[in-house]
Amino acid sequence: MDVILGILINGLATGMLIFLLAAGLTLIFGLMDVLNFAHGALFLWGAYAGIWLYGQTESFILGILAAIAAGAIIGALLEKFIITPVYGNHVRQILITLGAMLVLGELVKVVWGPNLIQAQPPEWLKGSWEFGGLILIKYRLFIIAVGTVVFAGLLFLLNKTRLGMTVRAGVMNKEMVEALGINIKRVFLFVFLLGAAMAGLSGILLGPYSGVLYAEIGLEYGILAFIVVIIGGMGSVTGSAIAAILVGVLGAFAAYYVPDIAMAVNMLLMLIILIFRPQGLLGMKEAAKQ
Amino acid sequence: MSKTRFSPFTILLIVLGLFLAVFPFVNDSRTMLILFTQIFIFSIFAMSYNLLLGYTGIVSFGHAMFFGLGAYAIGICMKKLEPGWNGVLLAVLITVALCAVLSFLVGILTLRLKSHFFAMLTLAVAGLLMVTAEKWRSLTMGNDGFTFRVPDLLKDRISLYFIALVFMVLTYLLMRRFTFSPVGKVLVAIRENEQRVESLGYRVLNYKIIANVVAGTIAGFSGILYAVSLRFVNTSVFATEVTLDALLMTIIGGVGTLFGPILGAALIEIAQHGLMDLAKVHWIFERWVILFGTIFILVVMFFPKGIVGSALQWQFKRKNSQKATLDKKERSKAATH
Repeated sequence: MDVILGILINGLATGMLIFLLAAGLTLIFGLMDVLNFAHGALFLWGAYAGIWLYGQTESFILGILAAIAAGAIIGALLEKFIITPVYGNHVRQILITLGAMLVLGELVKVVWGPNLIQAQPPEWLKGSWEFGGLILIKYRLFIIAVGTVVFAGLLFLLNKTRLGMTVRAGVMNKEMVEALGINIKRVFLFVFLLGAAMAGLSGILLGPYSGVLYAEIGLEYGILAFIVVIIGGMGSVTGSAIAAILVGVLGAFAAYYVPDIAMAVNMLLMLIILIFRPQGLLGMKEAAKQ
Repeated sequence: MSKTRFSPFTILLIVLGLFLAVFPFVNDSRTMLILFTQIFIFSIFAMSYNLLLGYTGIVSFGHAMFFGLGAYAIGICMKKLEPGWNGVLLAVLITVALCAVLSFLVGILTLRLKSHFFAMLTLAVAGLLMVTAEKWRSLTMGNDGFTFRVPDLLKDRISLYFIALVFMVLTYLLMRRFTFSPVGKVLVAIRENEQRVESLGYRVLNYKIIANVVAGTIAGFSGILYAVSLRFVNTSVFATEVTLDALLMTIIGGVGTLFGPILGAALIEIAQHGLMDLAKVHWIFERWVILFGTIFILVVMFFPKGIVGSALQWQFKRKNSQKATLDKKERSKAATH
């Protein structure tokens, strides 16, 4: 029982990290039909910049702020110089953002070197609590808490504010929103920056969680986020949250019980979804069609 | 003007082919032979990728799966059976069968959806195959891979060079024939305007699947050649980097042109080879992906047709403007008369 609970918490923490990454991706896709393959690079830069400043200043909070800033700044550059020029052309979008992903991934190695980078949780998050034999690692609970807060905040923003209403309307019918005199490009930039900032946050949270950082995590987690977006349904934040937790928990259980196929579990899950429900768990049917 | 007059481009190709045919007799340095063989093999792979990306407008992120299947098929056949021609034949048959079935399945699942579903599914399937190759140790020796022996003819660097060259030329001719065929025309039409083709009564899905199966099978052949040239195979044949190489070659050389992938393969292989030497001079050259990635982004943004495509476009424009000035002269002549 304790083992199962422990794995569950581990899976939840991983799921939350992936959710932070996938939420931006799914919103950007739902609103502007843009598929950002460079999203993993924002995550990567967030992780490296955050951990670097955290190491320099010994302040985890400053590190988190730096990660969010790094994600948002690179996101803004990406949106302006890479995505806007090829707007509306799916194939070129996929290609150009993939190119950006490659370049940004290699640039990390130029700035911080190609070697592994170590990361430790700050003092106040080290260690664990114990409840009758059940060991709860503080840092994992911290990730789950941050993820839940961000998810709640995102839902509030989308469902209770005027800006969120515009975003939701944009997901449903972009032309209509434009016709009502709202500058959809500005809304898009906002959503993009929000998604990029969440990716950066997710990146730095991963650092102390896995203990080491390397340049390939960008692509690895980027792919995971994509799998989650496809499973959850393109454009649906709640769908992404469910799918992210599903992927995280399933992955954690598989890693414990059948480690041989742990890597394949997510892929298999996506295969099943693509075959039986191509629009994803909570996606709209039209979103998947050509 | 006779009908059989060759265009300057065709003459250039024939000269290039003749040069490549005599090259091993002029310069038989081992490194050059290996480099050229690599170029031929990756040209075949890039041409098959180009059929998807350039002629049908499908983006695949897992084209390496066919490459890897071919490589493992020949490796395992040579290792488990005696290294003779029967084994090679069996490997070819297995490759064709596996690649055709797999590409058909992947295609029928996702080609009816938006383009990125196909990209993601191919990425996932290639990843699955890589994991399978890693875990099925009794057959594949896992991550370490294994070496194997090949028939004597395939051991010789020069004969392998010619075999790869012949296969490249054959693939080029096949692509030429295929893209000019009615099916090829429909594929280009799908790339240009899918809804229109559909409303004209074509079953778009079927044509896309045909393209995927043809591309997959050819990629399998390039995988066979690759493994034979190394006489070694490991899980890296399924890596995303293999697909990315094909993508870079196709985009930089010229997407949707027949010769583009060959030029791209040559450029990238030679550049990688050269940069590897330069890496000893300064570490920045180890990060060659930055250079290629930047070129890739610039090409996608400003020259979406790549080197060959842009050159053809430029030539076409020049011809047209020449024609226009000629027409003008004619007209002014006619006016004075």
